[in-house]
Amino acid sequence: MSSVNAVLAGRGGQGVLLLTRLLATAAALAGRPVMVSETHGMSRRGGSVVCHLKLGDSRSPLIRRGTADCLVGLDLHETLRNLPFLRRGAVLLTNSEQPLPAEVEPVLHLVDIRAHRLPASQMADALGSRAVANVVMAGFAGRHLSLEAESLSQALENLVRGNLHLNRQALEAGLAAGQ
Amino acid sequence: MSNRPADERGQLLMGNQAIALGLVEAGLRVGTAYPGTPSSEILAGINALKKELGLAIHTEWSVNEKIALEVALAASWTGLRAAVAMKQVGLNVASDPLFSAAYTGVVAGLVIISADDPGPHSSQTEQDSRLLALTAKIPVLDPSTPEEARQMAAIALELSERYRLPVLLRPTTRLCHAVQSLARPAPIQQHPLKARFEKDKKRWIATPRLRYLLHCELNDKLARLEAEFETSPLNEELAAEAPGGLGIIASGVAFETAREVLDELGRKVPLLKIGTPHPLPREKVSRFIERFDQVLVLEEPDACIELQLPRRNHVRGRLDGTVPGAGELTAEVVYEILARLLQAPGTGSGLPELESLASQLSLPPGGPRLCPGCAHRSAFFVMRKVLHRAIFPGDIGCYTLGTNLRAVDTFLDMGASITMASGFFHANQALGDPRPIVATIGDSTFLHSGIPALINAVHTGARFVLLILDNATTAMTGFQPTAATESADGTASARAVSIEQLVRACGVEFLERADPYDQDGLARLLLRAHEHASSSQGGVAVLLAERPCVLYEPDSVTVKVKVEVTSQCDGCRYCLEAFECPALVLRPDGSRVDIDETLCIDCGQCLDACYKGFIVVKDSTA
Ligand code: SF4
Ligand code: SF4
Repeated sequence: MSSVNAVLAGRGGQGVLLLTRLLATAAALAGRPVMVSETHGMSRRGGSVVCHLKLGDSRSPLIRRGTADCLVGLDLHETLRNLPFLRRGAVLLTNSEQPLPAEVEPVLHLVDIRAHRLPASQMADALGSRAVANVVMAGFAGRHLSLEAESLSQALENLVRGNLHLNRQALEAGLAAGQ
Repeated sequence: MSNRPADERGQLLMGNQAIALGLVEAGLRVGTAYPGTPSSEILAGINALKKELGLAIHTEWSVNEKIALEVALAASWTGLRAAVAMKQVGLNVASDPLFSAAYTGVVAGLVIISADDPGPHSSQTEQDSRLLALTAKIPVLDPSTPEEARQMAAIALELSERYRLPVLLRPTTRLCHAVQSLARPAPIQQHPLKARFEKDKKRWIATPRLRYLLHCELNDKLARLEAEFETSPLNEELAAEAPGGLGIIASGVAFETAREVLDELGRKVPLLKIGTPHPLPREKVSRFIERFDQVLVLEEPDACIELQLPRRNHVRGRLDGTVPGAGELTAEVVYEILARLLQAPGTGSGLPELESLASQLSLPPGGPRLCPGCAHRSAFFVMRKVLHRAIFPGDIGCYTLGTNLRAVDTFLDMGASITMASGFFHANQALGDPRPIVATIGDSTFLHSGIPALINAVHTGARFVLLILDNATTAMTGFQPTAATESADGTASARAVSIEQLVRACGVEFLERADPYDQDGLARLLLRAHEHASSSQGGVAVLLAERPCVLYEPDSVTVKVKVEVTSQCDGCRYCLEAFECPALVLRPDGSRVDIDETLCIDCGQCLDACYKGFIVVKDSTA
């Protein structure tokens, strides 16, 4: 399988680490080599959190700006902040109830980037907790990273303690939206 | 969150956990550490393995790095394989025993892991542990990936035992926090040990004259190690068909980054990977250098290999400015350097359209902040309110972020808040500067190196207010226990030491406990403490500000107060600056502030953050 580079962004508390681990674990379960770069420490407290996920044979943890195939944002601001990681023709997935700012669309069009917006927090809220917006986004992102629904659910079982039912529903909702 | 998928096909391990696994696989019996980003998950990883596999390993979160090293060293002298983990600035604290242990040597393998932080991302310096090891004369292994770190951890133990010398394993932030899918380990067997400490006058209590002999012995060990490293697979050249003008010497994560960038550029450049920056296999390196017109050295965070090169006239690196003298060797930086040297097109940055778009959008600052509901924020808010003129010496921990609330003016190193406060007091006395001094230090940092500082302050008659922000954990590094907590995370018996008794024993006469969530109560106590520190009869006034870290113990917020921002909010941003809770967010159009329900923990601490009174308790009946 070809390699995929994805950047995952959000703010501390939104669950970027779990989102990344879900995708990484699903890929590892499917037998794909995985390399992730996580953010820990100082920059985790309510500030920007960015993780890099590389599926394929890469052994260096970081993705260079201009080379990511996909950007998944849990927060509109953090999505916009990390736009320069994307390559021409990449895919942008963001959790947002509001549309992208007016000046953004034309530029994305110019560099051939497809943007998909999902009100994941709203959907999570409807399921019972806004906190699982990251799991909704994991489902939504799955298809773009060629991850099977089955490995994603297995990853969820492995990683999530606590309300598994709610988390499963969140994943389902994301997967359905990503179809 | 469990980090280990149960599936047999592989497991995801963080670099730090890979190091832990490598050590445990190689028969580790004692593991010690003081937490510090990016090294903290190493001992946590050992603890997890110990529990999972039911192994007999003594582990402890020691009070500081010097102590952690000495405990591990004694284990090694007794014949038990041992490891100690810390971050690079921790190695400064441990440098006293480090230098001496190089002379005495060890019995069983002893690995010192010191994680460097190129960037820096969460440290006060970008110092290079390899350079300290060079000065201390101990060998260094420098891994490039989690997989390799796991192997090198075992190699380090073996080398240490064979040469009877402590060995430094030096990962960097990106490796520590890289997560890789690794093959599962073979089952780990522990065999009964027959070790015991054997007295040896000439070694363990060597007098200066004998120390001279030990120094000669150390030099001899290093010479033999260097000879071994000349042919070791740890230092290997990646064959490239196209011999050209350029060769590259790289170590650590920079090696993998260089490899990837060269692939991207479609260039084949011979790459010599150095896994043992000290002792450097100088002959091998010299032979490599002679083959090229130019040799680029890529290493982090400073010049260690480059510095040891016998001839540098056609060497490019940190020292001649080809590689920036500071900062991380990100893929962007490495790309820029290689594209320039290879005269390849392109820059390291993103698409110009997106780079300029992102810089034009006015995005809120993304820097780190205290968590929503963090009690430190309440304490800092009150400090600013009551004693806004004060000088605020701060310390190392989450609460360094008090600088965002303008309640931290200095931070230097562990424990320096108290010593700096003493220094400012004596300086201000001489100058007649009447400003109050209000210092802050966390529980773990106080225990790490605040106690001698407090003794010194009391003894020299310094007068200031000291808030010990006790949140019952080492929060910033991932909630390790402290000596003042019952739990020791993996240690069999842990007795809690009382911070209050310690403070009293240092000779402090004014000591009060406070709950930062009771902002009015804290304000009154602060004024009383200030009075005590201002009076020539007074002294250091200590407030023990106690409230658990809300990230670690969310249930500690027992009184839930739902707040809302009224429709009168005019977006003046005052609360954002004065209180800066991440759950208070400005609308993208700047019109007003909202509460972010995902982040808000209903602590009610922001009720005074709007001086106009627009943050109110939400009417639940409405
Ligand atoms: S981790 Fe705990 S102490 Fe640190 S900022 Fe968050 S709430 Fe405060
Ligand atoms: S109640 Fe106020 S201070 Fe507490 S978390 Fe919510 S917004 Fe922040």
